[in-house]
Amino acid sequence: MAAIARLEHVTYTFPGGITPALHDVSLEIGPAEVILVLGSSGSGKSTLLKAITGLVPHHHGGTFAGRVTVDEFDTRSAGPQEISARVGLVLQDPENQAVMTTVEREIAFGLENQGVESRAITRLVEEALMSLGLSHLRRAPLETLSGGELQKVALAAVIAMQPHLLLLDEPTSQLDPVSSEELLAAIRRLSEDTGATIMLAEHRVERCLHLATRVVYMEDGAVVVDSDPQSFALWAVAGHRELLPPVARLFAQRLNGQAADHAQRGDLPMTVKDARFLLEETGRRVQAAASPPARTYGETVLQARRLAVGFAPGEPLLENIDLELRRGELVALMGENGAGKSTLVRHFNGLATPLSGEVRLLDRDVRELSVAQAARGCALLGQNPNDYFINDTVAGEIDYSLEHMGFVGKERNDLAARIVADLDLVAVLRRDPRELSGGERTRVALAAVACGDPALVILDEPTRGMDPLHKSELAALLRRWAETSRCVLLVTHDVEFAARTADRVLVLGDGGLLADGPVHEVLNGSLFFSTQINRLLRHALPGVLHEDEVDWGVSLQ
Amino acid sequence: MSRPTTLFGEHAAAAAGATGLPKPNRAGAGADQAPARAPRATARRRGSRTYGLARTHPLASVAYVAALALAALVLADPLEVVLLLGLILGVLTAARRLRATRPYVRLALYVAVFLAVLNPLFSQGGLDVLWQAHLPLLHIRLTLQGLVFGAVTGLRLATVMLAFALYTVVLDPDDQLALMSRFSFRSGLVVSLATRLFPVLQRDAGRIADAQRSRGVELDRGPRRARAVARVPLLAALFTQSLERAMDVGSAMTARGYGRRGRTRWQGTRRWRAGDRILLVAAGVAGLALVGGSLAGAFHYAYFPLLDDPRAALASPWWLAAFAALVAPLVLELTWLRSRA
Repeated sequence: MAAIARLEHVTYTFPGGITPALHDVSLEIGPAEVILVLGSSGSGKSTLLKAITGLVPHHHGGTFAGRVTVDEFDTRSAGPQEISARVGLVLQDPENQAVMTTVEREIAFGLENQGVESRAITRLVEEALMSLGLSHLRRAPLETLSGGELQKVALAAVIAMQPHLLLLDEPTSQLDPVSSEELLAAIRRLSEDTGATIMLAEHRVERCLHLATRVVYMEDGAVVVDSDPQSFALWAVAGHRELLPPVARLFAQRLNGQAADHAQRGDLPMTVKDARFLLEETGRRVQAAASPPARTYGETVLQARRLAVGFAPGEPLLENIDLELRRGELVALMGENGAGKSTLVRHFNGLATPLSGEVRLLDRDVRELSVAQAARGCALLGQNPNDYFINDTVAGEIDYSLEHMGFVGKERNDLAARIVADLDLVAVLRRDPRELSGGERTRVALAAVACGDPALVILDEPTRGMDPLHKSELAALLRRWAETSRCVLLVTHDVEFAARTADRVLVLGDGGLLADGPVHEVLNGSLFFSTQINRLLRHALPGVLHEDEVDWGVSLQ
Repeated sequence: MSRPTTLFGEHAAAAAGATGLPKPNRAGAGADQAPARAPRATARRRGSRTYGLARTHPLASVAYVAALALAALVLADPLEVVLLLGLILGVLTAARRLRATRPYVRLALYVAVFLAVLNPLFSQGGLDVLWQAHLPLLHIRLTLQGLVFGAVTGLRLATVMLAFALYTVVLDPDDQLALMSRFSFRSGLVVSLATRLFPVLQRDAGRIADAQRSRGVELDRGPRRARAVARVPLLAALFTQSLERAMDVGSAMTARGYGRRGRTRWQGTRRWRAGDRILLVAAGVAGLALVGGSLAGAFHYAYFPLLDDPRAALASPWWLAAFAALVAPLVLELTWLRSRA
């Protein structure tokens, strides 16, 4: 079958860039394929997708070599406007791709640009709304939609244009597990019902590897692996296990090196269902690994009593919140989008004032302190690292924070040196923080808020858009901080990360605190807020959350 | 490692001492500036069901709102102004958007009260003196006419503000864009993008300010000059983010074919209905009556030296025609709603 798109030796450098964002990339994209594009932050995934749309180089400029063809169009001569009839692109942040103010107008926008006549637009808008279950929101203003709904609108706007090739750039990175599942289900339906070719760039392989018919793995702008999922899994087992879904990692870590055999036989599982079949077949010979010794925690750093939070008196978003956070604890705060997680933690450093109740930070009522004063006791890292950058260098950012926190002389120098070492920032100290990769920017922003050695560190969705390697590094750092008697509170949708990192989980929902307990209790048996391994083994090994907690006592063969 | 004893250490203590702190925290400084998207979403209008003026064809709604605004500008008789204000509130209620006009109502009330209180001190005409005082530099003469003039001026201004608020909160910007795109699509698109991105910019600004507070930057306390200086760097971050966002929106638009030749215009799913025609005709009749009445001097009302009889103007055929035309669509809407109930 003829290829829909073809890249031939494409090398591209952004304006002002030194190293190429794409380096000698050659790919052929056929019809009805579902291609998963993997790679760490800055590996060139987004640039690859933009090159196929023609946005690179037409919109971004820079130096382009090689050739990209989409159907009969060569992107060097045809602009992205022409290509848009064939290729649809959904970006990472739904907020940054909406143009109009209501749902149906947003969906119609691309069709109007294509010159589709009005009656046909009405029909296509209707079909797109129906296919994604958005009919009830047709005239809703976009500003009233949740992130998941907004991302569905972005997808609807693209599929209404009936592209041959649909490109999705980390479309679930901003969404909670439920919204992500809904969006991925819609993508799968689209692929199965229309046979459209889909290229999906993602970090969370556990969500989408099983959907793929082909996997492309990129490093430093180059394609390192381009194969079917099982061959990719075989390659990953040999040295990149973090790229595999947890169930595949579970089977990959078996004793006697038999994982490679599994992969070669084509039966390394990608989903809980596949893994369960495989376990049945092999007699469920797994056992829980020895648990690490229970940790003890120190003094209370934060206490909330009968806390009610919200935006208007009489309309609390959350009420009757009672909780205590202690030194040495690593706590994950979870809940669906809009449950009030971010709103709640804004009360912990005084950014928001409670409707009623009290928050005490190191035994001081937070209302008695300004946010700036509270910053020495409670570091709160928001979701967007760019919000912190107002200096030209990383060193400048750290110094600016320490100065405003009131540190002087040797103490200031010592604290700066400690945070630089903790977050491994030596190599980037003289660089502009805005020019760093996503993972590095998060670390710099964390340094900016946590350089004063606070007792409580709160991170709001720190793994958003973060690749597996950086996640592991972050998890290790947070563990280290908790062990040095800080308290770390993670606001996260990332269940796998929470399960691997936290000791305790709080779940918000229905206007209050739904659960508060040890991670193995709270995440055990949950439908969505649970890990792949737990869903696989919850009956055989209740409470087990990730593959490191499982021992293959007996050979499977 | 822990530092509990130095937590709010010397600097904080010094700052507290210098300013008499600890004081109660500033009223949620920054707290209410950048609420998360989803919780706010639940509190706002969503869904596709529209009512009243928000349901009608944009051309008819614009014409009707323009007629109301014209009325608010030309009517001067106190009773006419009160009736018009009641009508605008009725239209907002029928569109179920009264709650959304709260900020405008609050502002309108402040302005109205301000004018009602201050105006009598400066409008000292009128023959019915209620109270007077001779101060060293000021002679105050409070008259009945001055009081009524101040109160009605405040009310008129509130009416004009609410008429324009009606335009903002009821009419759909995309519908306006569609209407405007008949003449200039690019201008309409600029309006639509500005409408969509302004709240996003507000959220960005609130988030950046909170991020800086969270790293120890004092934005809410201290001398005004120091606070202003502390906020200057925030503009750089806001500017950078806005540029990045603009680039992303530009990419998304281009990837959806914006700029391609042969663009068509979607008529939308709104069809001309009988109600739209009635509204358009009513707006036309009201507009003609208001212009005609103004030219004929039918809306003149004298406050000084004595108040005209406010009831007299109500018998004017120009007023009757204008008011009947403006109120008819609302009566029809309410009848329609009752028939559906």
